[in-house]
Amino acid sequence: MRFSILYVALSCIAISSCNQNDSLPLYGPKTATLVEKNGVKTIDSADYSIPNFQFVDQDGKPVDSNTIHGKIFVADFFFTSCPSICPKMMKKMDEVYEKYKTNNDVVILSYSIDPNRDSVARLKAYEKKIGFESSKWHLLTGNKDSIYNLADKYLVSAAEDPDAPGGHIHSGNFILIDKHRRIRGYYDGTKDDKVQKLMDDMDILLKEK
Amino acid sequence: MTRAKIIQYLAPFTMVFIVLLFIYNIWSHGTIVHPGQASYKVNCAQCHGEDGEGIKSLVPPLKNSDYAAKNIDSIPCWLKFGLNHPIIVKGVGYDQPMYPFDTMRVDEVQVANIINYMNQEFFNIDKPVSSQWVHAHLKNCK
Repeated sequence: MRFSILYVALSCIAISSCNQNDSLPLYGPKTATLVEKNGVKTIDSADYSIPNFQFVDQDGKPVDSNTIHGKIFVADFFFTSCPSICPKMMKKMDEVYEKYKTNNDVVILSYSIDPNRDSVARLKAYEKKIGFESSKWHLLTGNKDSIYNLADKYLVSAAEDPDAPGGHIHSGNFILIDKHRRIRGYYDGTKDDKVQKLMDDMDILLKEK
Repeated sequence: MTRAKIIQYLAPFTMVFIVLLFIYNIWSHGTIVHPGQASYKVNCAQCHGEDGEGIKSLVPPLKNSDYAAKNIDSIPCWLKFGLNHPIIVKGVGYDQPMYPFDTMRVDEVQVANIINYMNQEFFNIDKPVSSQWVHAHLKNCK
């Protein structure tokens, strides 16, 4: 009898952990607001999400929250003269691009953390070196402070550092964002297995309503 | 038991152990591992790829690179100081800067090992280089 209870308990744990694999976590703090309805005060909590932004891409076209409305997207931070981890990140992101280039529900955003040097023309030249569709994979430049502030909102690091190769340090993470602009995963963009996990998670996220 | 006797007793076991290690090495890798392979993987393969294939027009390939084969004497300098000018490899132009090695981590013996590994794997050059050769060529870096 005791054993059967143990089995039931174990299988419950097993089933619940299986279910967990089918949904992705939400990152970032929730915001709580006090709402008063019919004289009753309740706390309304909202999920953390990436705020509105507007930058220009390698075609000089504005890319903002409307461009990505209703789509899931993968974001990362890079700069074109980056000699260290960026080439590898670009190679892995290109694999993600190749897999989802015909899927209209997916967009890729690569923000330059060296926007003063990374002009539209320079981003376009970089795109040509890898060879991809600009409507699907936007390389973004704009106001430097806005980009660094946005990196904070993605909860990743980006900073200028004269001692670092190329003069900047930044996270090598790919960040997965859902249709409601909520952060759903971080993946090391230089590791084959982590990028595979990203693509597995994207498939899960695409099925989410 | 005297010290000599202990050594006499252990010597055959040590020999067998070394031979077994050697066999294990061949068995697990299919071949004898080149001493430069591990350093290549850590320091170069991130961008140039494990098979020296490069990344599209971003990072030049090393496999059958005419540019590298022509400029073997400059390779120690590239590894130590990076490469910051446009080059043409197999008819394709590349202008991304190359990041130099962390010289705190890679010494001249390792540089020689890596060059020998690349010579063998990618450039089809038989002549091995020594750490003295690396040392001498590093003096001529511009």
